[in-house]
Amino acid sequence: MLTAIWLVPVLGGLAVMALPRRFAKLLAVAVAVAALALTLVAAAGFQPGHRGFQFVERAPWIPQYHVAYFLGVDGVNLWLVALNALVGLVAVLATPLRTLAAGRFLGLLLLMEGAMAGVFLSLDLLLFYVFWEAMLIPAYFLLWLWGEGPRPVRAALKFVLFTLAGSLLMLVGVIGEYAFTSHTTFAIPDLAGQPPPPAVQFGLFALFALAFAIKVPVFPFHSWLPDAYVAAPTPMLLLFAGVMGKTGAYALLRIVVPLFPHPVSFWNWNAVLPVLAVIGIAWGAFLALAQTDIKAIVAYSSISHMGFIVLGVFTFNAQGQQGAVLQMVNHGIIITALFLIVAWISQRAGTRQRAGLAGLATRMPVMAGVFLIVSLAALGLPGLNNFVGEFMTLLGAWQLSPVLAVLGCIGLVLAPVYMLRLFQGMMHGGRGAAPHHGGVAPQSAAAPAGTAVAAPAIDISGGELALLAPLILLMFLLGLYPDLLMRALQQ
Amino acid sequence: MILAANITYTSSQALSDLAQVGPIVAVSTALLVAIILDLVLPVHLRGPVAAAVATLGYLGGGAAAIALWLLGAGHYAYSGFATGDEFAVFFDVLFAVLGILTVAISRGYLRDRAFPEAEFQVLLLASVAGMMVLASATSLVTVFLGLELLSVALYILSGFARADTRSQESAAKYLLVGGFASAFVLYGMALVYGATASTQLSVLAQRVTDQSAGNPLVVAGVMLMAIGFAYKVSAAPFHMWTPDVYQGAPLPVTTFMSVGTKAAAFAMIIRVFSQGLPHLAFEWQALLAFVSATSMIVGNLMAIVQVSMKRLLAYSGVAHAGYILVGVIAGGSAGVGAVLFYLAAYLFMNFGAFAVLTVLSGPDGEHEHMSDLEGLSARHPVLAVLLTLFLLSLAGFPPTVGFIGKFFLFAAGVSAGYTWLVVLAVLMSVVSVYYYIRAVIHIWSPLPGPRPLWVGRTASLALVVTGALSLALGISPALLFLIGQAGAGPVLAAGR
Repeated sequence: MLTAIWLVPVLGGLAVMALPRRFAKLLAVAVAVAALALTLVAAAGFQPGHRGFQFVERAPWIPQYHVAYFLGVDGVNLWLVALNALVGLVAVLATPLRTLAAGRFLGLLLLMEGAMAGVFLSLDLLLFYVFWEAMLIPAYFLLWLWGEGPRPVRAALKFVLFTLAGSLLMLVGVIGEYAFTSHTTFAIPDLAGQPPPPAVQFGLFALFALAFAIKVPVFPFHSWLPDAYVAAPTPMLLLFAGVMGKTGAYALLRIVVPLFPHPVSFWNWNAVLPVLAVIGIAWGAFLALAQTDIKAIVAYSSISHMGFIVLGVFTFNAQGQQGAVLQMVNHGIIITALFLIVAWISQRAGTRQRAGLAGLATRMPVMAGVFLIVSLAALGLPGLNNFVGEFMTLLGAWQLSPVLAVLGCIGLVLAPVYMLRLFQGMMHGGRGAAPHHGGVAPQSAAAPAGTAVAAPAIDISGGELALLAPLILLMFLLGLYPDLLMRALQQ
Repeated sequence: MILAANITYTSSQALSDLAQVGPIVAVSTALLVAIILDLVLPVHLRGPVAAAVATLGYLGGGAAAIALWLLGAGHYAYSGFATGDEFAVFFDVLFAVLGILTVAISRGYLRDRAFPEAEFQVLLLASVAGMMVLASATSLVTVFLGLELLSVALYILSGFARADTRSQESAAKYLLVGGFASAFVLYGMALVYGATASTQLSVLAQRVTDQSAGNPLVVAGVMLMAIGFAYKVSAAPFHMWTPDVYQGAPLPVTTFMSVGTKAAAFAMIIRVFSQGLPHLAFEWQALLAFVSATSMIVGNLMAIVQVSMKRLLAYSGVAHAGYILVGVIAGGSAGVGAVLFYLAAYLFMNFGAFAVLTVLSGPDGEHEHMSDLEGLSARHPVLAVLLTLFLLSLAGFPPTVGFIGKFFLFAAGVSAGYTWLVVLAVLMSVVSVYYYIRAVIHIWSPLPGPRPLWVGRTASLALVVTGALSLALGISPALLFLIGQAGAGPVLAAGR
């Protein structure tokens, strides 16, 4: 069952790569739907309130080192697997047929989805590592061969070298964890019961947390993210921002927190991480304010929101950590919708410069409405999903340290500023917006309503709306009835 | 210890000894048959027949080795000069596979250039025989015999393109440096013999004790041998010859020696150091740790600036020598087993990478510049996928065999307390990703290639096999690691 969840996209992806574009897309959609269906079946069969892992699959892989093929789900990773499958399907559907070498593109997307499902599902440290590294390969190729902007090669290489530096050091950590515990297992649930001495924990914590912090990214390891997100082709970006960042946060919760409960030597890592998370919340929000490229604004807002998730993970209480898991799912849904809308708008307008976009609401009213809902969700309006997660996270953080919780609110205060400024500027801004940026011809000032849009603006198409509809539905559903996810989390 | 002269050597003893070196016998027989057929057959038949005989010889050698393994009958033969134990047998199979793969990829290349194929196959057989002798050697004398047999054949092979001055330069350089290295090894052996009055590893293991660390003869001997061995595995700072020789030699030869010499030399290091000098472990481990660290740093940093794929892979080979040394230093079943696993992995991935370059070369010359890879994805997608796979495996990405191999080496290293060396290895692996990825970028760059590419049938088969194994052994490594650990058994047992 769980094997199929990651294997179906992987095999499907390999098959899709060999097909011509039209068939490739059909098969890719079929594979993505099948993967989503499998996760939903798993979610339906999942029994909440049941301690431990369910649907466990365990078989020896490298018996000499006690490495096992060990998969299982609990309330934490179940929803992330489902998110991965959902975003994967959206990404496949959002891939235009005219994409260069569409078959290969779709195949690599599915490979990425499959590898990430493996990351979420594996409960063996080495197996986890294998998937962790494997998801990098398709991501790298997608980023580099289909990347936008002047220098996708550079962005791709920066991303790979950043993440590899972290993850290869994690390999030392993986081996070290085996060597410094009882030498008998790589299974994460078993290792959690036998923490090594605090000084060793201190070192191992650093090795693991570095890899995950780069992936999330946690301040100050975020510098690869704007380059990579801005360069990423939209369908890949959905998986990249929507799911891949969550693998890091998930790994912090799944591996670092239980395996190294007391990482204290020169200082206490458990006290350092929440501080970095709060700095990241504020830092990402401030940088988002300063951006002119709309894709970059969303990218930096992502750094800020990921900070909440990390803060939640390191509150060490149920509210905070449940909030973090909720936030992973919520942010995955919201960022997917945001990047989709941003891509559609910039594609129609021919520019990604905020200053070059104004007054679009008159030309695309439905798009404006949808964008407003997503923006409100992103800035944490009660009734929409982000609010619940951020609220719980801050509740948890308050119990840890009121100061951190207060400082974390900076992110909440700034989010409306950059999101609403973005929305207002793009959709309602009038003549005031300077149309002289982003390669837009100066004479466009003569265009009606002062918009800088050279191409005829077309409102959101039915297909695009259909793509967003489930995401928006989920935003309302999870905002009004978070218990849907919470039930599985309480054990 | 000079062999006692009063031993009566019966015919049954002779047969039993012969069985122990069965793989060598098979390959040597093929060698002799090929030489004779080369003299008597008409010209147009010589090449194909020599290739067929060579393949049969390797198959026979491999079969003999597997039979020895299954019978589990390895023991000392020829009064302790050679053996057919699991360690030897593991390498025999490795070299037999290497021989067959080399025959498969070299045929088209040789025909394109009208090189004398029969001569090539004969020299290749001689070199493989030398490697097998090295793997079976349990005496310093046999070690040296194998080393020379393998090297002399390779000196000639690297100068095989007689009209090409770079090939001549390569051969001359290899000969001079190789001779130098042999001299180091031989002098070191002489000093150790002087101190212990024996060349047999089993006797050395008893006579060289913990106190021998104070014996200047032994220490100097070990150091000299270590230097000679480092030359042979192309470990820094004794690697200078590698890029030049690799670049100048014809590609099938480079392909063969990049894998074969390294594996044979590691067999030699493990035999002499782990089996013969276990009590001096502290001393030679310190030496090798230094060599390992320098190799990883120098190899990876130098590879960054290369534009010739041959030179790039040469420096990557230097780096890999450094990684593999981590396993040698760690020792034990885990460490030596990891070394054997990695050498088998290296056989597939490194051979594969060079083999792709080999089939890329046309009659007009070798196209091994990095820019020659441009548009390969359009010219021959399968080849592009395979080369990408090999390079990713060399870089150590899961789920390829290169990753699992590194995991075994590093796990052994950390368990043996060499965490600093493993951390260095890991950091240098990050550097290595940069240059492997740079090559991959060229493969998949969307520029249309100059012309379609035709790959011979045998070469395609060899490539597909190495590619499939590079992936399959990464997904399911347990059995090969088990075999590797079993192969490490005799070397370690003898030392205790």
